[in-house]
Amino acid sequence: MNRYILIIAVWLFSSCRVEEIAPVAEAPKNVTGSWKVIKATRNGTDITSAFDFTQFRLKFDSADNYTLVNRLPFLVNKNGKYKLDDPAYPFKLTMMPDGGSAVSTSFNYPTIAGIRQLSLTFIPGCELNSYIYTLEREN
Amino acid sequence: MLPRLNIKGRKIWMLSALLIVAIVFSFCHIKITKVTIPATAQVGDVVPIQLDLDVSCNSDGSDKLIVGVLMPKGWKGTQNMTATYTSSKGNGSFAMTPLTTLAPHGDGKNWPDYMRATFGIAGNLIDDMEWVVMQSDVPFTYANNDKITGSINLNLKVGADDNPTIVKLAYVVANTTNGFTSDNFVDGGYGATAEYYNEYIGDCFSVTGGGGDLVDFCNPQLTTVSPPKSLDNDLVTLTFDSNVIQTDLSGNDELYLCATGTTNDGQTIAICEQTTRTQMKPLGGGRFAITIWPRSFFGVSDSQTVTNMTYFITDKTGTKQVGYGNTAAPFTYKFKCG
Repeated sequence: MNRYILIIAVWLFSSCRVEEIAPVAEAPKNVTGSWKVIKATRNGTDITSAFDFTQFRLKFDSADNYTLVNRLPFLVNKNGKYKLDDPAYPFKLTMMPDGGSAVSTSFNYPTIAGIRQLSLTFIPGCELNSYIYTLEREN
Repeated sequence: MLPRLNIKGRKIWMLSALLIVAIVFSFCHIKITKVTIPATAQVGDVVPIQLDLDVSCNSDGSDKLIVGVLMPKGWKGTQNMTATYTSSKGNGSFAMTPLTTLAPHGDGKNWPDYMRATFGIAGNLIDDMEWVVMQSDVPFTYANNDKITGSINLNLKVGADDNPTIVKLAYVVANTTNGFTSDNFVDGGYGATAEYYNEYIGDCFSVTGGGGDLVDFCNPQLTTVSPPKSLDNDLVTLTFDSNVIQTDLSGNDELYLCATGTTNDGQTIAICEQTTRTQMKPLGGGRFAITIWPRSFFGVSDSQTVTNMTYFITDKTGTKQVGYGNTAAPFTYKFKCG
């Protein structure tokens, strides 16, 4: 009897094998493209319909350049270079305007209804006045 | 062994029950019976404000006293207010309540946020105010049926932003145990449900002088600017309320902004046209608003800044225009943060 139990136990253990699962690498966050404002808040108040944000575009290219089209109060007011602090898990977006000093902001890049959004917080004027632009990539 | 444990447990339970009773029922009802403040002050004056208090205790206990004052943010109250107290329980001073100290019953808020959530801006009309909160240096110990009287003497330097101001200052007193709660006992004169706190809203208080624009928190204004403090690189919303008084524009449903900006290098730029660029959007109820980016609106160069602007509200012909207080003088606004 004991022999059968031993055989079954050996058989059960021998049926297990280590399966190695290769970790899936997080895809780098690709922000290249032309982004438009779909929502704007000032000190938490929605001002999207109070001002014409429709003409503003923020363009990122694959050579780490950004371009502002039809400028608005924003993190920067000149074109320049940009970088993410980590290509796969970015927490910070830094913009380096030509001839100016670098400015950083939190990198919020949620997927809403299957579409990537870019949410940028900045203070262009008085320190008490904080703005958030929520941008969506143009097709 | 077991009987000994039982006896020990019973003692612990009794002690715990006594402690809980002491914590739950340690309270004093409080009220501000009188506020003494000068009728007016000049920008930069240190204004003495005296709050007279009555306190009625229904148990033994020990608490620190809390006092909060609602004032314009521009007065920088945390730097410009000091306070002492005199009372039948002794005298002492107040210190600023640390922002990291959470208020009891405050749902995780600190004292200024708890006051803001509970009392708002006390009927003032411009949301550019803050509660500055202080606590007594030491707890005061009280006994059941104690009737305590005392005074809080505030010294508030007004007008740190250099703006003449009309404002309703408000005051709240409370203690560090009960927050803004009350009980169902009747305690004559201590609020409808006998409160462990009390709010007192003052009359409109005028601060004159100063080099800035008048900020009137008290009286409805024909136009308001939001955010109240901004620079030329902010998005600035001007709102016109036609209900405040009868004007030449009453009944008009198409209004425009006519503004003149002044730059840091002395240039004046007038934008006074009746086009989509200057048209105000109706908000309903006789209110109209326009949001501008001053740098773009006045078209200044990168090296210039817009330091101030004057403006009128006009009809679509531009012939009827309304200025400050419904006079021929324009509304004025300075672009500054302090």
